This record gives sequence, C-alpha cells and structure tokens, in this order.
Amino acid sequence: MDAFASNRFRGVTRRDLLKAGLAAGAAASVEPLLAPRRLHAQGKRGGILRVRGYDPPHFDPHQTLNFKTNTTLSFVHSKLVRHKVGVAPGTFTVEPDLAERWEEPDDTTVVFHLRRGVRWHNKPPVNGRELTAEDVKFTYDRFLTEQQNPLKFMLDPVDRVEVIERYTVRFRLKEPFAWLLNMLANPTGTWIVAREVVEKYGDLRKPESAIGTGPFTLERYEPNVKTVFRRNPTYYRPGEPWVDGVDWLVMEDAAAGLAAYRTGQLDCGNWHMWAVRQQDLESLKKSQPQLGYRDWVSNVTQGIYMRSDKPPFNDVRVRRAISHAIDRQAIIESVYIKGEPTPAIGRGLTEWSPRIDQLGPGAKYYRHDPREARRLLAEAGFAGGLKTQLTATPGYGIDLVDAVQLAQRQLKESGIDAELKLQEYGAYMGTTFLGKYEGMAMGPFSIAWEPHSSLYGMYTPEQPRNSSHVADARMVSMLKQQMRTKDLEARRKIIFDIQRYAAEQQYYVYLYSVGVTGSWRPHVKNYAPNSSFDYGNRAAALWLDRS
Amino acid sequence: MANGVETLISPSAHGRIGRRTAIRAPRLRALWLFCRKKPLGALGGAIVLAMILMAVLAPWIARYSYDETIRGARMKPPGAQFWMGTDNLGRDMWSRVVYGARISVTVGFGAVLIAQALAACIGITSGYFGGKFDLCVQRIVDAWQSFPFLVVILSIMAVLGPGLVNVTAALGVVGAANASRVIRGTTISVVQNVYIESARALGAGHLRIMFRHILPNVAATIIVLATIGLGAFILAESALSFLGFGVPPPYPSWGGMLSGSGRAFFLDAPWIAVYPGLAISMAVFGFNMLGDALRDALDPRLRGAAGRVR
Amino acid sequence: MRKYVLRRLLVASASLVIASLGVFSLPRLIPGDAVQLMLEERAYGKDLDDLRAKLGLDRPIYVQYFDWLGRVVRGQLGESLWTKRPVIEELARRLPVSLELGLMALCFSIAIALPVGIIAAIRQDSFADYITRSLAIVGLSVPGFWIATLAVLLPAIWWGWSPPIQFTEFSVDPWAHVSQFILPAAILGLASAAAIMRLTRAMLLDVLRQDYVRTAWAKGVGERCVVLKHSLKNALIPVVTVLGIQVAQILGGTVIFETIFGLPGMGRFLFDAINQRDYPVIQGINLLIVSVVVVMNLTVDAFYAFLDPRIRY
Repeated sequence: MDAFASNRFRGVTRRDLLKAGLAAGAAASVEPLLAPRRLHAQGKRGGILRVRGYDPPHFDPHQTLNFKTNTTLSFVHSKLVRHKVGVAPGTFTVEPDLAERWEEPDDTTVVFHLRRGVRWHNKPPVNGRELTAEDVKFTYDRFLTEQQNPLKFMLDPVDRVEVIERYTVRFRLKEPFAWLLNMLANPTGTWIVAREVVEKYGDLRKPESAIGTGPFTLERYEPNVKTVFRRNPTYYRPGEPWVDGVDWLVMEDAAAGLAAYRTGQLDCGNWHMWAVRQQDLESLKKSQPQLGYRDWVSNVTQGIYMRSDKPPFNDVRVRRAISHAIDRQAIIESVYIKGEPTPAIGRGLTEWSPRIDQLGPGAKYYRHDPREARRLLAEAGFAGGLKTQLTATPGYGIDLVDAVQLAQRQLKESGIDAELKLQEYGAYMGTTFLGKYEGMAMGPFSIAWEPHSSLYGMYTPEQPRNSSHVADARMVSMLKQQMRTKDLEARRKIIFDIQRYAAEQQYYVYLYSVGVTGSWRPHVKNYAPNSSFDYGNRAAALWLDRS
Repeated sequence: MANGVETLISPSAHGRIGRRTAIRAPRLRALWLFCRKKPLGALGGAIVLAMILMAVLAPWIARYSYDETIRGARMKPPGAQFWMGTDNLGRDMWSRVVYGARISVTVGFGAVLIAQALAACIGITSGYFGGKFDLCVQRIVDAWQSFPFLVVILSIMAVLGPGLVNVTAALGVVGAANASRVIRGTTISVVQNVYIESARALGAGHLRIMFRHILPNVAATIIVLATIGLGAFILAESALSFLGFGVPPPYPSWGGMLSGSGRAFFLDAPWIAVYPGLAISMAVFGFNMLGDALRDALDPRLRGAAGRVR
Repeated sequence: MRKYVLRRLLVASASLVIASLGVFSLPRLIPGDAVQLMLEERAYGKDLDDLRAKLGLDRPIYVQYFDWLGRVVRGQLGESLWTKRPVIEELARRLPVSLELGLMALCFSIAIALPVGIIAAIRQDSFADYITRSLAIVGLSVPGFWIATLAVLLPAIWWGWSPPIQFTEFSVDPWAHVSQFILPAAILGLASAAAIMRLTRAMLLDVLRQDYVRTAWAKGVGERCVVLKHSLKNALIPVVTVLGIQVAQILGGTVIFETIFGLPGMGRFLFDAINQRDYPVIQGINLLIVSVVVVMNLTVDAFYAFLDPRIRY
C-alpha cells in the first residue's frame, strides 16, 4: 500500500486524540472530540436560521481572497474535499466532499474519484444537471489562470488538471506537495464552479452567478442588508440541510449586533465566527445563562514584525530583546481577557501548534524580562536604549490599538523607545503590510487552517507576505522539506522544528492567540462551531428545535 | 468689549449699581453686568474657564500619567483611589479626563484658529475687493461648502493619516467655508461705511485698511463664530473618533474615550463612557451658551433692552 | 426676474465645474490605491500593474478626468471598481434611504426648533427662554452616536427590545419600513434642531424690532397675530437658506446612524468607498451630493428673488 493510502479516510485516530489533547491542554475549556457524525443523524426539519453575515464585494472566488466573499459562497458551493463538521473547534481534518475517495499513483499525481449523482442548483443555465470531472477541471483551470486571483499561490505546485473519465479527475504536480488536499479543503477560493455560468455572465461577480452544488441556493441578495439562502432540495448529503433557509444579515455595528442577539433577533452570536465578544460575555452569561457557549482559541496569531534585513533588527539579540520586553500575559488580560501566548502557528490550530514550553531553547525568549532585554540590547551595542518606530492600523479594531499602546509602554520599560505611528487601513495595506515600512509594525498575521500557507508565505524571500524581510537559508530548506514530506508524523516533526527555530530567531515576535467564545440560542441543535469560513456546512448540519 | 457693554447698561440700572456695590473699575463692572444680564452666558463662561484651567493645570491635578497602566486595577469603579474609576487597560479615568481637556482645548482652539484665520482671509478680501475677484472666490467657496463635511474630512484624514495635528488641520479647513461666508457678509456692510472711503481717499493701502479698519469691526463676528465653532469641533472630533479617524492614541481625547473603550465596555464599566461624555457635553454646552451671550452682547441689534415683546 | 435666474444658473454651473474637479482629484490624493487593496497581501508586482491597466488607472490623470467628465455628461457614472455594478444603480437604491432618513430628521428638527425658537424670541431673557434654550443645547451637546448607542443598548437590557436589524423595503411592509427610521431620525434631528432654533430666535428677534411690527403693536393687534402673521414669514427666509445647508450636511453625515441602525444608505456607502479607494463610487456620490446642494441653493435663491424684489445681485 502506498504511503499516502493511510490518509485516505482521515478519521480520528487515537494518536491524534492524544496529540490534540496535549496541545489543547492549556485551552480554556477542553471538550472531548465528538465522534464522527453519522451521515443519517435524525434532525428536525424547518425554520429559518438568522445569523450575522457579511456583504461580499462580489461573488467571484477567483478574483478575491476577501473573507466576506468566501463565507457567503460557503452556503452555495461545495469543494472537492472539506474540513470535517461536528468536531472540536481548532480541528481541521480533511474529509471527502465532492470527491468520495482519492489515490496517489506516484509522488506528483493525485487522482480524485467524484461522487455520482451530485446535481447543480436548479437555476439557468445549469438547470440541475449532474456535476462531472469537467466541472472540476474547468474550476481549477480558471483558478490557476485567472489573472486577478490573489490565491493562485496556494496551488503553485500544481501543473495541470486532467479529466480521465466522467467522474475521475487527475491533478499533476510540478513537485511533490504534501499539502495539496489541505489546500483544496481550505474554504477560500476552492469552490467548484460551472462553465456555463461563467460563459453566461462573463465572470462570477454577480449574485445571479452564485450557483453551486452546496446545501443552499442563493435566493435573494440585498446589498448592505442581507443575503437570503434557501434549502437546496437536491443536496447530496441525506437529510441536510435541516433548516429551510438562512438569513445572512449584514451587521456593521457591534453594539447593535449584541442588542439583536440579546433580544433573540439572532440565533447565534453576533461577532465573527458566530461568537460573542469577550467584553460582552460576562454580562451576557449572567443575564442569559441558558444560551449555548463554547470556548476555543483563535488560529490567528498577533505579532510584531520588523525590518530584519536592516540594522538594528538584523541582530538576533535585538529581536530577542523585543520578545523579552513584551509582557504577553498582561496584554491578554487587559485587552482580550482570554488567550494564550503563541508560537509561529496559532494556538487555535491544535494539531500543529506546540505549547510554548515545548519550544526548546527558544522558549525562554517568551519570558517577560525587561532586565534581560536591556542586557541583550547592551550586548548588541544599544546600552543607552534604542529609538525606532512602531506602525499599526486602527482598521483591525480598537482592541489592537489598545494592545499596541500597552506594547509600546512595555517596550519603553526595556529601553526601546518606539514612536507610535498609526496608519489608515488602506494606506497600511498598501505599504506596511507589503513590507514597505521602517522599524517595527504590529498586527495580526493571516488566518490559516494548516501550517504551510502562513509559514511559507512569511519566511520565503520575495513572497509578498514576508513582512519581516526574512532571508534565512535554513528556514527555506526546512520549508521546502516539509512540503515534500508525505508522512504526517514526519511532517509534523519538521513543522515543530520550524517553529522552534522561529522562536530562537524571533524574525517575527509572535505574541498571542486570543480566546473566542461561540454562542447560540438553546433552540439551535447539533451546532458545532469552528474557526473557519465554512459557515455553509456548519449551518447545513444543525437544526432548530423550539420544543 | 467696552462698546458692547455700554449698551447693556440701561439708565435705570446705572445708578443702582454705582450705589450698591463698591466696584469702581469699569472693566470689572462690565463683567459683573454681563453676568447679571446674561446668567446663562456667565455660566457658560465659567465652564469654559474651568476647562481651560483643567487643561493648563493638568500635570498638577491629575494623579497619574494618562497612559500609565496600574497593574491589577482593571475596570475599577469610582472610589477613593480612582476618583473616576479605571478603564479596561487599568488607566486612571480622572487623569485621562483631565489630560483630555488639554487635547480638546488643543484641537478645539487649534482648529478654530485655523478656521477663523482662513475664513477671515477669504471673507475679508472677498468682501473688500468685491467685483470679479469676489465672484470667483465665492464660486470656489460655494463648491467647497457643498461638499458634505464628512467626505472632506475623511478624504483629508485618509491623505494625511491619523495624528493630532492632522485632525486639527482637517477640522480647521472644513470649518472655514461656512465662517467665511458670514465674515464676508459683515465685511460688505462695514465696507459701505463712509470712513472706509475716506481712508482710501487719504491714500491708505488695502492691507492697512483691512487690518486697521475692517478687522476690528468684524472682530465681534469672528469671536462669536469662534466660540460656537469650538463646541462644534469638539463634537466633530468625537464623531471622527467613532469612525476611526479621530485623535489617535495614546492621546486621551474625550471623543476617543467615549467612542472607543467607553462604548465597548459600557455594560460592564459605564464610568469609562459617562465621564468623558459629561465632559464633552458640558464643554459644548458652555461654549454655545457663551457664544450666544456674546453675540447678544456684542451685536447691538439683537440686545433685549429695547423692543422686547412683553 | 428671468435675467436674475439665468445669472444664478450660470453661477451655479461654474460652481459645479469647480466642484467636479475637486470631486475627481480629492480621492486620488489618498495614498494607496484600489488595486493594492483589492489584491491585499498576496499580490505580485506584475499582477498589480495588470489590474491597474485593466481598470484604466494607469492613464495620465487629466485623461482620466476628461474621460470621466465626458461620460458624466452623458449620464454614465461608471462602475464600482470592486463590485462592477453600475454606480447609478447603487445610488438609485441607496439615495432614497438616506433621503428618507434626512428628511424625517429635518421634520423632527423643525417640529422641535420652530416652536422653541419662537417662544425663546418672544419671551427673550425670561425663564422660559433660558430653559428651552438650555434643553435645546443639551440635545446638541451630546454626541449623536452616543445617544444612538444608548438608545440601542439600554432598551435591550431593560425591556428586551432592540431596533429591527433587518432593513425592510417599503414595498414589503410600509409601516415597518417607516418605523425603522423613526428612532435614528429623531436622534439625528436633535443636532440640527439646536442650530435651527437658535437661528429662528435670532431672526425673529430682528424682525420683531422692525418698524412695521411696532406699527402693528401700536394698532393694538394681538400678540399671536403679530408674531405668526406678520413676523414669522419674513423671519423664516434666512432659516430656509440654512435648511439647504443642513440638508447637505445631513446627506453626507448620516454614516454614523446608518452604521448603528443598519440602514443601507449613501453615507455608509461613501464611507466604505473611501476606505476602499473605489474612485468611481466616491466621485459619483460626491457629484450627486454637490449637485443636489447646488440645485437646492439655486432654488432657494430663485425663491428669494420671487419673495423679495430688493434682492438682485
């Protein structure tokens, strides 16, 4: 049996349980992994799910990476493979979706066998015809060739996609790429689309062109107000979706959203990932203890990045000093209330993120130690302190701005005088985020559901997301190595090694991953929150029972 | 000031004041009469004075620094140690409100200075020179004024980026358009006076006429506009903070406190919002009342002594 | 009369042209452009330039300006850089919402301001004057977004009621549609109310001092008749001018209320467009607002000329 066959059905093995348990040990509340959901679980049909949603700039998955588009598309589209639903938050196991099984004849080929009898939505021009391998090929050809696709890099190693038979499609890779399945399962840009729709509308920007094979159909789109989804009667998972439809409501203001959730106008939490903000949580729990609550840790890391290609930050001692200077726990307690210090991969990605104390020699730099910071600075030649600047943007919310202020004070105590420079969001994205800045900057690093895309993008020279301007040969070789390592355990070891090395080098001073608390009303049943954009599948699995 | 106050003194009151009180100095007497005649204005003036004093004496009346986080004192309600409680980062609210007065005074007075200086330049020259020049300038002012205030502010802020100086400049520039219209109106009526013509006949240069003859007469209008503008600018800054374009941290602006942490933590710690909110309201109230009273006092057409309908 | 209106029209057109220049250039001064924002963090240099060329953003500025101006004259406001939907379509959908909000707010303003201003004027410097003026100024002194926040949060906690989160079209449910504007319009109107009240008071005081009013008093005409019949109309003329300016401010300044109450209006649209550097949308909205204001000023001027034969300039 080839090495990859063991990964065919990524159910939950005991080893994963153990590892997940260890990794999640420090999380706020640990729940055992739910057993894999049986396909014929009996739910109650009926009702409309009213939830906080987003207003997408447009509906074309190959022309944006915006989460607003992808979260909206998750209701009407399916992917070849998907993240398992009904698991503990932070678990992103790949399972079959449109592809029922797959095999790897050799190192650079993956063959997918598609589910039969999958029907497109009953709307012109597809009119409910069956999905075939041609659709998959068309989708990924467009993905790889569409000029404006900012997600192209995700499938860089893919050479071409070929149709073998009506329900069989082959991916040919330029080099071995162990993460292909994870990339195809990522809920950004990987939605399968139909040729006729693109030909009819020219592109997929219009709401009428949001036609897929997913659990819901897009019935009505009101810009800036809501999107109305209704059940797809020919959805291929039996029983799903249980609800008659979903009202995906746009809600810009946190206070209004909270009021709506408190008064029962929303079925799930008003914040991102259908959570409730930590600041609102206490009073909500006191007045409404009967609501469902679930804690987990975000898979986003926040951190400080800096010009490590120039003095003074090209000196590793200066970077380590910065890490010593920051009191991560104090920022978590003051600003976010719940959270954990994090290595390079966010703590919310439970299978890939080691605890700080497992980081080896690099772990000591996470200790808040202003004296040690000063000592290191003196060693590097900055005995009298260091003057630099710290850029951030209020565009991510006031929490970040509060955290930046605290960080600035902490840096000052260790002799680093960082002048705070706030940039407007657009200007920030156009300059600082792309690496055009001086000194240091602080902000969130991208969300990820596997370790590859963030590590690769942040540590490979010439990549637009290499914000710290890292050029470290050892890092690059480790990254290339893990891309090629098929065996999961061996790959995990390399990923852990990369994170240990990152902690030693501190090219990015990783700070923390914040705590998130999902919430839902008692009549929402079988709902398993998770921190991915795949709202559609989660909504398809739940049902409403007001009895 | 002396001119305007004379009008407040009706013949009957004059003798009474002179006999009852020992106030001899004419300026003080004018002030006393102002307070008696316009108690609301006096109240407003008192509030403004208190605010300016708070701003000036901030380092002495504040108990901590405005960005000092006191460990273990997160979101404490008002009490003996923290008179106005602490915010979500453990900073003393009393100190932040006191230093916030500084920011509000800086932004407010700075913006007013810019706005009035610009408005005076445009308004006086436009009204004085008249003719084609006036026509052109007024077209530009027209165009400028028809832009909604938010659009211009946002665009300027987006160009300049966040910053204390930037906010002040943006507010000042936007506030100038309206004021320049009013000043132009006053200038036109002043220019029609005979003494302007005679000054010109005597060979006085344009600049001299504008500074020595027109400006003092327009001063009253400017003062009233300035006072009321102060209140408007403080409110505008808080609205900008709500949208994310206000005075950036770590400066403790009242608007920033109200729209940021105050709003976010209102349910758990209402004091974070209540005190800055009260401060804003009182400041705006004070400036408006004072401006109203000054307008009544300095513009003899509007005084109440004659022509009252009772 | 006709010559006067013609002259004003010419003047208004000049303003419009100057405004169009401003409308066009102001958003382009902002650093960072739409293309960089669209491709966010994962763009390579070549892709940025390609997208710019595709959107026509690489041509010289004056070429872009005249191209845009030409199309505007023909009624085409272009498409949003982000959504590719025609700007006119979006405006047609959002303008009514902002207009409704603004007009209702104005109605609230006038309903509060006129009576209060009149009372304050005829009972100048009395207790009633002070009280009413203070109350009006209090309404003006509290930031609008704060009153709105309290209005949203407190009822949710005390009575379990919150304003509807879904925007309802008029065609779906007329009463629900109108009622969702009541709360935001009332709060929005509070701020304008103070300005209008103060102006009404000042203008009425001025008029009440006129000779013809004195004559009316001398003739023994009752107070109500003097105030309402003889003075009010003349006093209100400048007030109407101010209303014009207020409309402009309201049209552009509704973004805060639209955000808090979830109304899909133009204010929010414009705010998002500025943040996203969506030039066609910014230009379209600015042009619309500027035109509305200029037209409104023109109407008011014509109205003036009609009412007061002395005004000719």
